[in-house]
Formats: sequence, C-alpha cells, structure tokens
Amino acid sequence: MLILTSLAAGSKHGHALAKDIKEFAGVSLGPGALYGAITRLEERGLIEALESEDRRRPYRITGAGSAALVEVVRDMHQIADVGATRLGLTLA
Amino acid sequence: MSTGCDELAELLRWYPAAWRERYGDELVALMQDVVGDRQPSFRFKLSVAWAGLRERIYGAGLVGDQPPVEQARTGSLLVLCAWTAFVLAGMSFSKVSEHYSYALPPSLRALPQSAFKSVAGLGIIGASLVALGALATLPAFVRFIRNGGWTSIRGHVLRAAALTAITAGALVPLSLWAHHLDLRQRNGGDGLYSAAIGLWALLVAVTLAQWTASGVAAVRRIDLPRGVLRFEATLAIAVAVAMVLVTGAAGLWWGAMAHDAPWFLQGTAPGTSPSPFTLQLVMTLTLMLTAVLTAAYGVARITRSLGGLKQASM
Repeated sequence: MLILTSLAAGSKHGHALAKDIKEFAGVSLGPGALYGAITRLEERGLIEALESEDRRRPYRITGAGSAALVEVVRDMHQIADVGATRLGLTLA
Repeated sequence: MSTGCDELAELLRWYPAAWRERYGDELVALMQDVVGDRQPSFRFKLSVAWAGLRERIYGAGLVGDQPPVEQARTGSLLVLCAWTAFVLAGMSFSKVSEHYSYALPPSLRALPQSAFKSVAGLGIIGASLVALGALATLPAFVRFIRNGGWTSIRGHVLRAAALTAITAGALVPLSLWAHHLDLRQRNGGDGLYSAAIGLWALLVAVTLAQWTASGVAAVRRIDLPRGVLRFEATLAIAVAVAMVLVTGAAGLWWGAMAHDAPWFLQGTAPGTSPSPFTLQLVMTLTLMLTAVLTAAYGVARITRSLGGLKQASM
C-alpha cells in the first residue's frame, strides 16, 4: 500500500521510495523490508521495473497496481467516513 | 570497491541465488545510499540478513500465498523431513527402552507393553506410508532422470551414497569390537566404545538427513501429476497423524515406567526412586515433539492447498 501510494505519484528507485514513504507516512522502511515488498509487488504484477543505466533501477505502478490501490483507498475511505460520522468529526 | 561496500555486498549471501541475480545490485545500491560513508550498524546488517532469510523461506515455499501445487508439494516435503527426524527419535527411543519388560513384574507390564507395541506398530505404518509415497513418485522420477534430471541431483545422491557406504563400513569394526565386550561394557561400561557408538549414531543421522535432502531436491524438480500430488498430500497427512499417535504412546510408556520402574530409566538399583527425567529420554521426546510440530505446519500448508489442487485437476 505504501509503495503503491508512493509510485502513484510517479516512478522512483529504492532510495527515493524510502524517502517519500518516510515523508508522507512517517514509516522508515529498511532496505531489506523495502526490497522484500518490491519483490512481492513485482511478482503480483502490481509494479514493474524500468530500464536503467545504473544500479538504481526505478519502478512504476502498473494498471493492475493502480486498480488495487484504488480499491484499497476506497475501502479505507469508507471506513474512515463511518468512523468520522460515529465520532461526529468532519473530515476535510 | 571500498571495504564498506564489500561489507554490504557480503550481506547478499543471506539471499537466495536467483533473488541476488535479479535484485542484488539494486539492494547494494540502496544500502550504499542509506549508509553513506558510515559503517553499517549491527542492527542494520541484522535487518538485511533477516530479510534475506525471509526471502529464502519464501523461495522454499514455506510461507506466503504460493500456488496450491507448490503449497501441497512443500507441505508434503516438510512432513517427509519431520519423519526423518522422527525416525532418529524412534531409534533413540528403541535404545532407551531396550529390555524394559524385565524391569517390571508381569502384573505391571500391560500398560507399558501396550504403549510400546503401539509405538512400534504405528512406526511401521508410518514407514510403510512413506515407502508408498516414494513408490508413487517413481514413474515421474524415472521420466525426470530420462530427461536429464540426474545432473541436478547427482551431488546430493553421491554424497548420500558415500555416507551410506561409510556408515555401513563402520558397522563392521564396531560389531567385531562389541563381540569382545561383555553386556555391562556394551551398555555404557566402556567409555571408548560408547563414544564410538555415539559417533556412529551421528553418522546414521547425517546419512538419513542426506538421503532426505536428495529426495527433497528431486521432488522439488519433478513435475508431479496433480493426482499423484494429491495422493502424496493425503499420505503426508496420514504420516503426520501416525507421528502424533507414536509421540503420545511414547509419552505413555515413559509415564508408566516412571510410575512403576523409575530405576530402569536411570539405570540405578531396582527399588530405588530416581528422577524419571533422563537426558536421553527428554531429548528423544523433544525431538519427537519438534518433528510433530514441523509436520503439523506441513499439514496446514497441505490443507490450505487441497481446494485449489482439486480445482486445478478438474
């Protein structure tokens, strides 16, 4: 989810991904954890590697990845709406 | 490359070869970006090593949402590995319980004898199921060898064959030696002989483990028909059940002996009341329980796969 959200803003290599995720979610992903997640996402066809001349290979979200992210975001939005209504909050 | 960079690249050894081939350079580049000019901390290295081990476990099909065929195969192989450990525990149990009935008056023999016979009988059933499983894979194995598969498992099989020859060869001088010893010397009275027997038992364990590794290496490469795989998975579940029952019966035997003849377990004078917790029995039962837990995990993988496996074969 974090990686897909980051890649929804454009393709990034590993270090840029980790920095972006730290920035918008406050989550520090170590290199091992990040590449474990990248491996699973690529296996499932949700992201794909782009050609690169150096070792810092960028990744981009695929159509299937976007669809999966849309589904998760909608589900979370729905849950957040219910929570906000029950708490009497107004979400921006 | 600098020493720091070498150190980071060294961490790739924790990952499977195929993974390193695909992602290795990228991961090293990322680690360099993160670490910079500093020395990687122990925690950093540990987290990368752990991620590498997780990748190996995933690659072996032990965790994660693998296809049903892979889950069934891995689950069955896990039960086979657990069975090998169980056989070793069984050998140890058989040594511990040798001549146990002489330590009991006839009126107290019924329970330990029933438990012991259950261990032996269920052990034979388990071994027969494993043999049946091996037989069922034989046609696919022959096809695999005919199609050039021998080269991929040759190393494993040759190592196992060499270990078997050494183990069998070592039995000859041991038997000759045993003929020159009396009963007391053969049962722990001669330290040197006991050490030699211990080494030989270790050799048997390594040999069994190597044959199991050969079997695992072969089955992971063989394309088993869905029907055969379902049969193997069913046999694996039955073997796991047999292992649970054997462990229960062994525990019952231990309990009965601890109650009626604890001196037999410790080898002290009849009528004494030493602790029934002998190192060998504790280790034997611990090994049995570990094997049962491993087999249970294998069965859980198989159970998850059965629905998908049925659909795939329709």
